[in-house]
Amino acid sequence: MASHILSLSIGSDEAGRMFQGTLIYGFINSVILALLALGFNLTFGISGVANFAYGALYILAAYTAWIFLNLLKLNYFLSIVLAVLFTSFIGGLIYKFILLRVRGLPISEVIASFGIGLAILEFFRFLGFVGFEYTLPVFIDGSVSLGGTYVDVQRLLIVGIGIALVIFLWLFTHYTKTGLAFRGIAQEERTALILGINSDKMATFSLAFGSGLAGVAAITILPLGQVAVEGGYSALLNALAVCIVGGLGSTGGVLVASVLIGYAQTFTATYIGSHWMMIVSLVAILVILVVKPSGLFGKQKELEERI
Amino acid sequence: MGKKGLIAFALLVFAIFISLPQTAVAQLKPGEPIVIGVPTFLGSIEGGESLKAVTMAAEEINAKGGVTIKGAKHPIKIEASEIRDGAPGVPVPEALLGIEKTILDKKVHAIVVGPFRSEALLATMDLLAKYKVPMLGTIAMSPASEAKIIENPEKYKYVFRTCLTSKYAAELIAGVMNQLTKDFGFKKAYLINQDVLWARATAGGIKGWYEKSGWEVLGQDEFPTGASDFSSALMKAKAKGAQILFVCFDMPQSGILVKQYKSIKVPALMAGYISPMTGEVGWKTFDGQIGGLLEAVWELGNVPSAKYPPSKAFYDAYKNKYKAPLQSGHGPAPSYESVYVLKEAIERAGTIEADAIVKALEQTDRAGVMGRVKFDKGHQVVYGTDPAKEAVAVMFQWSEAGEQKIVYPPAIADKKIWAPEWVLKPTK
Repeated sequence: MASHILSLSIGSDEAGRMFQGTLIYGFINSVILALLALGFNLTFGISGVANFAYGALYILAAYTAWIFLNLLKLNYFLSIVLAVLFTSFIGGLIYKFILLRVRGLPISEVIASFGIGLAILEFFRFLGFVGFEYTLPVFIDGSVSLGGTYVDVQRLLIVGIGIALVIFLWLFTHYTKTGLAFRGIAQEERTALILGINSDKMATFSLAFGSGLAGVAAITILPLGQVAVEGGYSALLNALAVCIVGGLGSTGGVLVASVLIGYAQTFTATYIGSHWMMIVSLVAILVILVVKPSGLFGKQKELEERI
Repeated sequence: MGKKGLIAFALLVFAIFISLPQTAVAQLKPGEPIVIGVPTFLGSIEGGESLKAVTMAAEEINAKGGVTIKGAKHPIKIEASEIRDGAPGVPVPEALLGIEKTILDKKVHAIVVGPFRSEALLATMDLLAKYKVPMLGTIAMSPASEAKIIENPEKYKYVFRTCLTSKYAAELIAGVMNQLTKDFGFKKAYLINQDVLWARATAGGIKGWYEKSGWEVLGQDEFPTGASDFSSALMKAKAKGAQILFVCFDMPQSGILVKQYKSIKVPALMAGYISPMTGEVGWKTFDGQIGGLLEAVWELGNVPSAKYPPSKAFYDAYKNKYKAPLQSGHGPAPSYESVYVLKEAIERAGTIEADAIVKALEQTDRAGVMGRVKFDKGHQVVYGTDPAKEAVAVMFQWSEAGEQKIVYPPAIADKKIWAPEWVLKPTK
């Protein structure tokens, strides 16, 4: 490892620029992880459902946008808005017609949602959505220099959209009737029921909302590369890693975990070895499960209370 | 033993016989089809297009009457199976189950294409030895399979490969790098490759060649399948003044690498194999921003050469039949070729008995779509630089107008390699 680190035999100016670049890209990757995880976290926090179809819904949004744009020849903005709405709708349907029936049975919820996710992803593969023509255009082409580090504009937009989304979610859950109902259900479902909040309806909304957030993440992140079925599995893994480390149901936890994992991956790739970068999130999951199983900001009851 | 005992014994033997898994019978009735299995990762671009190429070859052969065995005609029947060995998280044993199912349930006489991943290929070799089924692999590239065949030829004789291996891939790249040194004085390279067996072997081979040939290897980064940020490697390559960025990826996310390379403005020529850059559709995928990039095509035929007509005939026939050009630079041409190689071997052998087919396959010497097809001791088609003498891999360069111009090997080059201005005169 030392020889690898020493092999970065570049001048001190370049070493400084490299460090700066790593900080910049680390932040961008952290925001990407947060954007990926927000929808998954919101759904779990409100309804208690770990939506393992999340990665599939992420890819569904992207392919839907591609279909609207390339086959139906709709305007790009309209395509992505419709794709996000469609994904939300599908998410709601998944809850209403399948997950509602197994609500309260965590293992069944996981198996059912994972099965649906697999079916969606492999259905796209079956339909022939395999190839390199499935791309979404970037919103603005080009790159800018941030103190000598070139970053493409799309990544900067992802940061902007990610921050805006976090602010929007905070405002939504604090100042809207539905958002307050979400928080009520998340805090104490039975009390919320007594107050007339329909928990099943809210859970359906939360899955639809979370799926919509997956759609927003997809149409923002996937223009960086290509839309591929495999991306659904990666998205789910990354969202899970962030939520487990941060604490399922905690938005603050998701943000902190995203930063930790995002920077850990980027610094690992730059200074230790790029082939270790994917292991970072898996190691993070292992460590947190051993040290604090509820996650950094999670609120799971202590073992004694649970027995 | 009384009469009852004899009957019971006969029934027991019969029961054991019918319950044992059975592979294809070694004799065919006239008109009975020859079943060729295609178990591979059909969900990949390489696997999917390879199956289409195999189907096209089978239809062509059947249209001319099929395979002739001792005067009787037999059509070819293709049995495809999805084994998902290239999909994330699919373990090798699961892929092996798929191949075993193909052999036992579909009663195949031979297999073409085969596993996508070399890890699965190496494990499959024992299965093929057990059931005595000849296979012509056209995707998995690790030379480790040849080593196994040479070490134990009697056991592993059923395994052949018509696509190229990492060793030949490295030789192609070395040839191009020599040309770049000769034409432009380039001597500094940075390697970025996918963390899978074939890409590690290819990059390892080219790294060794660089070091022996006086090149300066500025660094190497290996990214796991699914990685989506390559900024660390690109920044290092830029900081160290790389002139050549050697790349080796087959995952869809590798498209991000090309886009990031452009946005980070690395003043080095990208050369190697990135799946999304191979087909005609690559120009549109990258919004026409890949002018100057050098892309390897592991087998001629996956990209056509006007100077070698069989390659163009295959490419055009595929495009006409499926109404879309090939996207994969690896797999379809040798897959198509393998069906013809198998057909001729069966006709030479005069039987579909596996050992006889193997002997006949070893005698193959034909002008195929990739060039001349001949197997070496490791049952690997020999690749070189002249399609009249060996099979050929090529390097093409994207022109600024979106055309794919073959620049290496010289025997079939359309034009010389050119270097864009931003590579020859990099600005900080």
